[in-house]
Amino acid sequence: MKISVLTLLTLFLFSFQISMLSSFNPFGIQPDFCLVIACLIGFRTGPVSGLIVGFGLGFLQDLFSAGPFGLHTLTKAGVGFLAGVFARNFSNREPHTAFVPVMACSALSAVVFLLSSRMGMGLGEMLDGFSFILLPQVVLDGLVAIVANWIFVRWLVEAPTP
Amino acid sequence: MRGRFRPGVFWGSGVKRVSVAVLAVAFVVFALLPQQSQFLFHTIGGPLADLVAIPVKGMATLDRTLREWWVQYIALQGLAQQNRELRETVQQLRGEVNRLREQTYMAERLASLLEFQKDKSVRTVAARVIGRSASNWYQGVILNKGEEDGIREQMGVMTPAGVVGRIVRISGSTSIALLTIDPNVAITGIVQRTRDEGMVQGTSQGLVRMKYIPPLSPVKTGDAVVTSGLTGGFPRGVLIGEVVRVEESEDGLFRTAEIEPAVKFRRLDEVLIVVSLRSPEAVPSLDHALIAPGPQNPAP
Repeated sequence: MKISVLTLLTLFLFSFQISMLSSFNPFGIQPDFCLVIACLIGFRTGPVSGLIVGFGLGFLQDLFSAGPFGLHTLTKAGVGFLAGVFARNFSNREPHTAFVPVMACSALSAVVFLLSSRMGMGLGEMLDGFSFILLPQVVLDGLVAIVANWIFVRWLVEAPTP
Repeated sequence: MRGRFRPGVFWGSGVKRVSVAVLAVAFVVFALLPQQSQFLFHTIGGPLADLVAIPVKGMATLDRTLREWWVQYIALQGLAQQNRELRETVQQLRGEVNRLREQTYMAERLASLLEFQKDKSVRTVAARVIGRSASNWYQGVILNKGEEDGIREQMGVMTPAGVVGRIVRISGSTSIALLTIDPNVAITGIVQRTRDEGMVQGTSQGLVRMKYIPPLSPVKTGDAVVTSGLTGGFPRGVLIGEVVRVEESEDGLFRTAEIEPAVKFRRLDEVLIVVSLRSPEAVPSLDHALIAPGPQNPAP
């Protein structure tokens, strides 16, 4: 995949997520498409690609996020890299197994956000964050990953078998 | 597995090494110098945000057009238009009723102390919601007005129906407002009927709670909660919401009220950013007027 195509695709997906897809929020939770994409790229093409794409997507998210600057950049780069490392030790990379690394990475990222955004607000708020945001977020990201990975494998990454 | 993997498909090894090195440095800077890195990224990110805002605004316009087209031409053509107009009217009237109610309460209590004049001091800038924060941990909306339009951080955001939130980040042409349903936003509010003060804060469940209400307060379901005007960003008396439940706090020292926000955040399209309030020197403050000259408060 060429870098120009990837950049345009990233920009389009990001704009699409924060504007048109913002009303798509089952259970009041929005799936994190940027995290899913970073993980899948790491999962399918290696940790370095996952890290770089995650960094770019995270930086874009940080530009339009209400939280502290850098949190998305760090977590997305980190999960992109981890997904790649995970894939190297994971023999079964069929589309329907993509949700495993994505859910693991989503949980890890969500814990970072939980600690940074709810720190000092008391145990009740932390538990609420865990049950009302973290858990549904992880499940949704996993579901989106299955669909996204199928599209990803079919059209974007793999060349036709000669 | 069908097909074949192409690891390292994006970049050659030289560029890859440089990228990894740059990212490693970025990680270290983030970890060791959080304040400085925030400033650095804000400086780098400002112009980039303006650039990325172009497709975002385009997408928002497309989204709005498609939604309007759907509402107007597909789903109940005439009724939808009428319904929207009525809803807007109701929102404006609710805001007006609340403002008048607030003025009445104030006038009743203070009529003998000073001549209360209509507040014309609030200057606002209208902005359009072009997107939502792409994270569930911070409930924010992206607005199409930024530093170039005189917007600054910590300015209050409202609609005719009530309080929306507070500006937390700005770039040249866009800004981000954190909504009142976010736990990181706190506004001082007062129960309109009882005049009890408390802190209004969001929760992870997407609700709003008013904390630290005095334990003997007669606050009850249905009471309106409005801004106190004590914290910056909002004029006094803007509706925050309506009390739907009252309970004792965990420590038993205060009461806590659950509030249904007056603003429907999912249907937020246009907002008003409060860019200036009348300075305390220019207007005789009602709080100051309440402190009568006496032994403890000698007249100047």
